[in-house]
Amino acid sequence: MLISYNWLRELSGTTLTPLELRERLTMVGLAIDGVEEKDGDSVLDVEVPSNRPDCLSHVGIAREVAVIESGKVRPPSSKPVRAEGRATDLTSVEIRDTDLCPRYAARLVCGVKIAPSPAWLAKQLEEIGQRPINNIADITNYVLHEQGQPLHAFDSAKLGGQRIVVRRATPGEKLKTLDGVERPLDADMLVIADAERPVALAGIMGGEDSEISIQTTDVLIESAYFNPDSVRRTARKLGMDTEASRRFERGADYENVLRAQNRCVELICEIAGGVATEDTIDVYPSPMPSRRIAFRPARVENLTSLSVAETDMKSILTGLGIVHTEESHAVWKCVPPTWRIDIEREEDLVEEIARHFGYDKIDSELPPSNQSGEHQPRELRIRKLRRTLQILGFDEAINFSFIEAVHDNQFELIPEFNTEDSKHAFITLKNPIIENEVRMRPTLIPGVLNSLRHNLNHGVRSCRLFETGRIFAKSDSGELPNEREALSLIATGGASEENRAQAPRETDFYDLKGSLEAALAAMNRGPLRFTKAQAKHLREGQSAMILLADGTPIGSLGRLAESVSDAYKFRQPVYVAELDLTRLLAAEELPVQYEPLPRYPSVVRDLTILVGRQITLEELLRTIEEQQVDDCRGAQLVGTYEGANIPEDRRAVTLRIEYRSDERTLRDEEVEERHRGLIDSLLRQYSAQLH
Amino acid sequence: MAESQSQEDPRTQVEAASKAFEHEFERFARFTGQYAAVQGLTLDQAESEERALAELRTRHLGKKSVLVNCKKSIGRVATEGRAAFGQLVQSREAEIVSAIEQAESKLKDHIQSARTQRESIDVTLPGRRPRRGHLHPITLVRERLEDIFVALGYAIEDDCEIETDFYNFDALNIPPNHPARASQDTFYTTEGLALRSQTSTVQIHAMQRRGAPVRMIAPGRVFRRDTPDPTHNPMFFQVEGLCVDRGISMAHLKGTVAELLRRMFGSKTVTRFRPSYFPFTEPSAEFDFSCFKCGGLGCRICKNSGWIELGGSGMVHPNVLRAAGVDPEEFSGFAFGFGIDRMVGLMYELDDIRLLFENDVRFLEQFE
Repeated sequence: MLISYNWLRELSGTTLTPLELRERLTMVGLAIDGVEEKDGDSVLDVEVPSNRPDCLSHVGIAREVAVIESGKVRPPSSKPVRAEGRATDLTSVEIRDTDLCPRYAARLVCGVKIAPSPAWLAKQLEEIGQRPINNIADITNYVLHEQGQPLHAFDSAKLGGQRIVVRRATPGEKLKTLDGVERPLDADMLVIADAERPVALAGIMGGEDSEISIQTTDVLIESAYFNPDSVRRTARKLGMDTEASRRFERGADYENVLRAQNRCVELICEIAGGVATEDTIDVYPSPMPSRRIAFRPARVENLTSLSVAETDMKSILTGLGIVHTEESHAVWKCVPPTWRIDIEREEDLVEEIARHFGYDKIDSELPPSNQSGEHQPRELRIRKLRRTLQILGFDEAINFSFIEAVHDNQFELIPEFNTEDSKHAFITLKNPIIENEVRMRPTLIPGVLNSLRHNLNHGVRSCRLFETGRIFAKSDSGELPNEREALSLIATGGASEENRAQAPRETDFYDLKGSLEAALAAMNRGPLRFTKAQAKHLREGQSAMILLADGTPIGSLGRLAESVSDAYKFRQPVYVAELDLTRLLAAEELPVQYEPLPRYPSVVRDLTILVGRQITLEELLRTIEEQQVDDCRGAQLVGTYEGANIPEDRRAVTLRIEYRSDERTLRDEEVEERHRGLIDSLLRQYSAQLH
Repeated sequence: MAESQSQEDPRTQVEAASKAFEHEFERFARFTGQYAAVQGLTLDQAESEERALAELRTRHLGKKSVLVNCKKSIGRVATEGRAAFGQLVQSREAEIVSAIEQAESKLKDHIQSARTQRESIDVTLPGRRPRRGHLHPITLVRERLEDIFVALGYAIEDDCEIETDFYNFDALNIPPNHPARASQDTFYTTEGLALRSQTSTVQIHAMQRRGAPVRMIAPGRVFRRDTPDPTHNPMFFQVEGLCVDRGISMAHLKGTVAELLRRMFGSKTVTRFRPSYFPFTEPSAEFDFSCFKCGGLGCRICKNSGWIELGGSGMVHPNVLRAAGVDPEEFSGFAFGFGIDRMVGLMYELDDIRLLFENDVRFLEQFE
């Protein structure tokens, strides 16, 4: 809000310069965004906290300045008016909905001459960013900025039946407001009506039909107190934000209704001529209760550590208009002024004293240390995961948590979310901000695909990204959705980089699989298993399900299907994985157990067999294990080969078998005999051939 | 006698062999002496000379050489001439060995230095390493913050990102008609749940779980309905801190925030508290810190004020303590919060925070 320094000085008598005020007001909680020199005056841009509507005026700021300087606010003075006649003879006021309008006052000024405002008034308004309109409108606006009380002037001649009725609108009613927009009204909106129709949106804006015009001679000045919630609701619903609504919705001063109106009428008579009615019609059926707060002065030091002398406390309270009486030495009874709607409890009074005594006088010390800190155990494990992926060349991505609904059935979700009725499992936003991004993501994959596309479009060819974050789906139990922590990896382009000495090699399935295995091994959660499985977004034949050692499925891994790739315009193979970290983090950490080092040497034998292409390494290894050959310590893959010189439906698999005894060194013939037996059973089981 | 007569005189043989060596050694003579002529040789030439020299040695000093044969025959020479003959053979042999070794040593040195030179490398070529990835700057700053607070005795907490109105608003003393609750500012799901608009929600969960006293921070994602622009995102990361105990005052709040900012921005950092308003704290304060760039003189980063606004704080509102089951008469506490994204933006001088969620590797690569 813009505050004129000269105007403020008239009201507060301040001796501080604009720049000093900037500093002092900031330190009592009224931050000054800027100070601008304007035509012999300075304009301060005050950032008023939302709980301080009392500061949305020059008088309001002057009160704070007066406390800062231990001074007093000088009430604005104007000439007493020449009054004649009774308002009740000319008009009437009826409040039908006192819940939304506890107080309404109307007074008339007859025989005014509408003209442009005098230069001083126009200049004053222009300085604080207000456009002058005509003398009557400008005076109401001036008083608003002086006192914080919004006022409205009606052309009395245009009020049907010479009546004011404050009521809720009836559905279907319309009102053309001063900005020329026709507004549809509903039964929740409070309006000011005449005998027939609405003439103003209560507390927000007047109607065009009853606007002051050059022909206007008699004006009705409205000064009222409207329910803050009602004004806020109506303004939001209609998308309006006016000087009046801004003040009413935060809370005006119901005891300032008549003072502000009187000030306005005096200025009208002085500037626009005319004769005011002797009285004002003030409808205020049930006066607002005043607040009494029990205040223990000791709480100031308890909460802030400031030791403030009681006399200082009292002078701050007095300066702020807070009436205080000592009920006992330890407890004071405080009654805040009607304009301070924010002061409701003891802590509020503590803040009032602390901010005027000075936050800068509060000591700075660490609280006594009596607890030990701890990381989230989950976070520490995820840190290991992040570090490993980083070393493996993955950059960390962070995407928004919302995605478009077009992705609904594009991706295989983690097993936890993969229910029959996936359409109804999504969490949907009622009010998205980015067009179409209505779903709380049930998968991280669309995010990393987007990030990949962004990078490929910017000339990057090789890219590895990972992201960890929440994914969401409806929950079968409880009120809240199911939130799971997920990990997604994506890789494309060259598998090794920054190394001229190596021949470039393209990323493939096994690169991503290896990275995933390495990252999860760093978390010590046991080995993962992979089985061939179909997934919506993955290419058939190059996709796998990821399982924990106990067979629990936790995600998918594979090459992106052509259909998805095409949609993203990827022209190179892309590999992507996603898994449920929550499930993984819940798994037991593997205990590390020492195994004695071998005392006797091992003997290794390589064997290459030709088997059907559908036979997996896992099957072969399992078979070898099942044979339980004496002293056989397991087998390892050396390599596979398919292509020239081999039938199309077969591939050659080379395995290295290790034999070792814990009792003695094995003899060659023994090894040979056992190896022979193993080979025979493999050949038999898989109708394989030695290669 | 007849036998010895039939053979050539051994002396003559020795002299002849010596002559022959001298003749054959002539081409290697240039490699001996003070001004050895090895310098002009390429590595290949030097190696072939070395081989030739080795052959020469075999020819003249090897098992089948004349000199070795003569040596064997010393015993057969007549006693009176034997000593002289022996001396002759040995001196000739020594001459040959010395000549060859001189040349050999020169050649070897040359070969070694030539080889070293040939095998020297350009140490400025890039090292061989796999491409390293980069953690997101938000993660980097978040981890630093977490480590600082763990060192100060705080537990790191987190909870759900989608919340009920109770945790997102009611328990935080946000009145029923507060604008923050409007669907203009807060995201709602079709079930009427809110995307948490601040991580203060975790305060309540943590106090309910742990009771008082409690010290914790909650870093995490929060959501507000802002259209993305250079200074806004509809999703960002926040850290919320809470310390509840007997006898906690604003001095502890100031001390804690000041300590944090010194650890983040340097030991000279000054922190300033200004009165402000938040529904969940009373008294409330915003905190600023002296600009780390200009030290308070005024620059672009601090918009010439010398101060950088960072976050909000205050003494936990008694209604909030009560909502979490903590007695405000027995316990008091402070809370503070600020945006990690904002801190990242300040530390790295980002001019457009939308970059944080584009995941452009050219951007991510800049953070270590």
